[in-house]
Amino acid sequence: MSIKPWILSLSLVIGVMACQPPEDKSGEAKGILPYPIVEKKLENGANVVTVPYPSDGIAAFYIIMRVGSMEEVEEGKTGFAHFFEHMMFRGTENISKEEYNEILKSIGAAANANTWLDRTVYHMTGNAEMLEKMFEIEADRFMNLQYSIEDFKAEAGAVKGEYTKNSASPYSQINEKIQEAAFTTHTYGHTTMGYWEDVVDMPNQYDYSQTFYDRFYRPEYATILVVGDADPDQVYNLAQKYFGKWERGSYKPEIPTEPEQTETRFAHVQRANFPPYLRLAYKTPGFDAANKDVAALNVISSLAFSKKAPLYKKLVEQEQKLRSLGSSYFFTRDPYLFSIQASFKSEEDMQYVKDELEKELNKLKEEPVSEEELEEVKSHLKYDFAMEIDNPTEIAEQLTYFIWVSGDPNALNTYYDTMESLTPADIQAAAQKYFTADKLTIATISPSEEGGVQ
Amino acid sequence: MMTKNLLTTVGMVALMITQALAINVTELQKPELNKVVIKIRFENGSISDPKGKEGLTYLTSELINEIGTQNISKSEIDDMVYTMAIERNSFTDKEITTFTYQVHVDFLDQFYPVIRGLLLEPNFTTEDFERVKSNQLNYVDQLIRASSDEEYSKMALEDLLFRGTNYQHMTAGNTEGVSAITLEDVKEHFKNYFTRNNVSLGIAGNYSPDFLNKVVADLEQLPDVTPEIPEPATADMPDGIEVEIVSKENALGSAIYGGYPLDITRASDEFAALMVANSYIGEHRKSYGQLYQKIREQRSMNYGDYTYIEWYEKGGWFQLPLTGTPRHSNYFSLWIRPVQIKDQLVDQYPELEGINVGHAHFALRMALSQIDKLIQNGMSQEDFEVTRQFLRSYIKLYVQTPAKELGFLMDSKFYGRENYIREMDALLAQLTVDDVNAAIKKYLQVNNMYITIITDDSEAEPLAESLKSNMPSPMSYSNALKEILSPEILAEDEKVKEYQLNISEVTVVPDEETFELQ
Repeated sequence: MSIKPWILSLSLVIGVMACQPPEDKSGEAKGILPYPIVEKKLENGANVVTVPYPSDGIAAFYIIMRVGSMEEVEEGKTGFAHFFEHMMFRGTENISKEEYNEILKSIGAAANANTWLDRTVYHMTGNAEMLEKMFEIEADRFMNLQYSIEDFKAEAGAVKGEYTKNSASPYSQINEKIQEAAFTTHTYGHTTMGYWEDVVDMPNQYDYSQTFYDRFYRPEYATILVVGDADPDQVYNLAQKYFGKWERGSYKPEIPTEPEQTETRFAHVQRANFPPYLRLAYKTPGFDAANKDVAALNVISSLAFSKKAPLYKKLVEQEQKLRSLGSSYFFTRDPYLFSIQASFKSEEDMQYVKDELEKELNKLKEEPVSEEELEEVKSHLKYDFAMEIDNPTEIAEQLTYFIWVSGDPNALNTYYDTMESLTPADIQAAAQKYFTADKLTIATISPSEEGGVQ
Repeated sequence: MMTKNLLTTVGMVALMITQALAINVTELQKPELNKVVIKIRFENGSISDPKGKEGLTYLTSELINEIGTQNISKSEIDDMVYTMAIERNSFTDKEITTFTYQVHVDFLDQFYPVIRGLLLEPNFTTEDFERVKSNQLNYVDQLIRASSDEEYSKMALEDLLFRGTNYQHMTAGNTEGVSAITLEDVKEHFKNYFTRNNVSLGIAGNYSPDFLNKVVADLEQLPDVTPEIPEPATADMPDGIEVEIVSKENALGSAIYGGYPLDITRASDEFAALMVANSYIGEHRKSYGQLYQKIREQRSMNYGDYTYIEWYEKGGWFQLPLTGTPRHSNYFSLWIRPVQIKDQLVDQYPELEGINVGHAHFALRMALSQIDKLIQNGMSQEDFEVTRQFLRSYIKLYVQTPAKELGFLMDSKFYGRENYIREMDALLAQLTVDDVNAAIKKYLQVNNMYITIITDDSEAEPLAESLKSNMPSPMSYSNALKEILSPEILAEDEKVKEYQLNISEVTVVPDEETFELQ
């Protein structure tokens, strides 16, 4: 069955494929996102972003703080950005944690927060008519957080509980080792959860927590994002009213630069009664929406290891050596990792599969992909995006990603424009630049004492 | 929006078809959308698995999205799915199997023959069968025991709660069952259990009446076999609290799940009252619940503590409920996320040298004593009001996407409702605190239940002894925490450590032996 004809008309299709944006006088859709991104900064530097979207009275309210575990530069403080996310639910002088909970409950919102390498995100999705209340309680804790040492020590146990629940998975264990092996100097060397000994020591870090808040919970780190039934002027006015007095900070973290990796590195977890696992992790550049390498790596991630890829069909379906094959390439502020993951039926096949994966990468380096293949990947990525954004929370999530890696919500549209401009030569150039043995960390899970894959 | 039988929504051709077929159709027209969501649902889940072939329905449904048709190869389908960014999945629960496809309107006509072909002309091959079966076997053999102790404890609870019934085994089956399944079993099962007589259709988004007619006409072509679906089993109420401790190597904590059969479902109007009570004591992934407050917030014992009045699919991953899991057989459950074991506590805090067990016994006592307190005292008017207000807003967030909205509508029909979310909202609006307190008295209890605990092998026996003897289980705080806890909390601990649990049986099972007893 042919699937080619419509690829040619893709650019026309994309323009009309999502539901029509509402009439909005504050801005126009400019790119793949079929809704306007209305953006205006407060004087203190906090960015205020609104995406009007018809959503039956629901609004997603997100605060994106560009602080994550990469800011944990001091010895013994790993896991602190995440721990601090927990502390943000412990109340202020004006609104106690009990009152905060009661208000949240009365709003009836789905609210939570999460932390990763580059960011901490606080979010709630709920009744758009309660938007002002959302602004009020969030601004209060971002500007006036005040918790007791009792609450601080108590919350540390919850973080330990989170570590404990995650620790059962061998994937969590290998992830910790991969980051440690791949980054000797940069703070990407530890996971967001942090080292166990630092997690255990958290109750003793009350004073440091005050320093952390003072350093990072400042408007210059913040983007306030509202998606849904909301007017941009109303959102900006609420931001001004509640976050306008938030004072700028002065701290500039010095994130150590990772030295150039010059040899293949290894990480291994010994584990019986678990499917053997191989991950090849290559160093890649930090996010830049206009950087063709970034877009090309994302295309390769989708192109070379999907169910459509010949290598997938060979290793998973025909030879049935693998239970699964996939790749991941997350955008990050600083250079991080492009990973190819394979889950095995038998440990004996690990070297063979590693060699096959390398052959595939070498092929990308030696021969340009066809125009047709490239267009199919672009189609996949754009339609995938269009299919996803069917509710305010998902639109907010997509924008949040680009905000935390770049600080700019419009990076979403810019990035997709960059991707659209890619040529087969761009794909080849990126493969040549990044898929080299000296940028590689090989990680394994198997019953053996050592990984054994070269 | 419409959710009614096709008889009333489409033209004459479809009228004739549906009169002949009586295929139930749930419609959710959203012409402004760029896609169409198609849910093809069969009243047939893991309870239909033959004895000794546990996992057959799951494997059959998984295979449907891992094969080709008589005219379109699997490889061609995978290429289309990729390039058109089709979202598809198969989901088998105890009583229902659902195939969901989300297709962009640009590709609906091109992709629909794939959906049709997979259902009407599936090409089951040995290669695809072996591959999918191998992964399923790996899941029931290894992954469930080694990936998340929380999910493991939840599955182990169902195994205990429904032991000896068709509700016992995981939907993915068990080692013996999956091992015994042949390709012929799958072909036969598909022919006899996925038929025009137990199918229903859900469709949402931007589709035409002609398209809907075509799908209905195609579903008519499914085999005209009346599947022999067994009656869903119910669990017996245990006499006392029966605890099964699963002992495994290198567990950092004790993961706890508990539950007892509950004689109420979404079909009952009383469910709204129970929703309020449940939300108050243990709303899923919310900090407002009493259990969360007592165990996590005040005492720092774990990551969260919740209660449920119906099955909650993949609660460790999702904050809002999924669809496709309607069940006739229901139970109340309690989820205490992993708490610390003795070895870890002593390792971290030398001052705790000499303690007998970690926090599991105390956590269980705290949870049950809180539920007990709710039963004795009921909810206050104030707590009732704020919890009801929360729920009336919160349940609307369950249906943010067209796929979720459609799924909830289809689940509604299973329970004899038209629109569960809307009807619950109306019931909540009429509710009084007395209604809730009556439901609490009627449905909640703490004396008879099953508990499963996944824990480290160093902790299993001491914990079993502690539970069996019902001896006091004092909380073991680090000095750093103890010195700052309020006198009220410490005084409450003194009471809770002696709270009598109606323990009737405690067994310790090595992890490799779980899911084996029938």
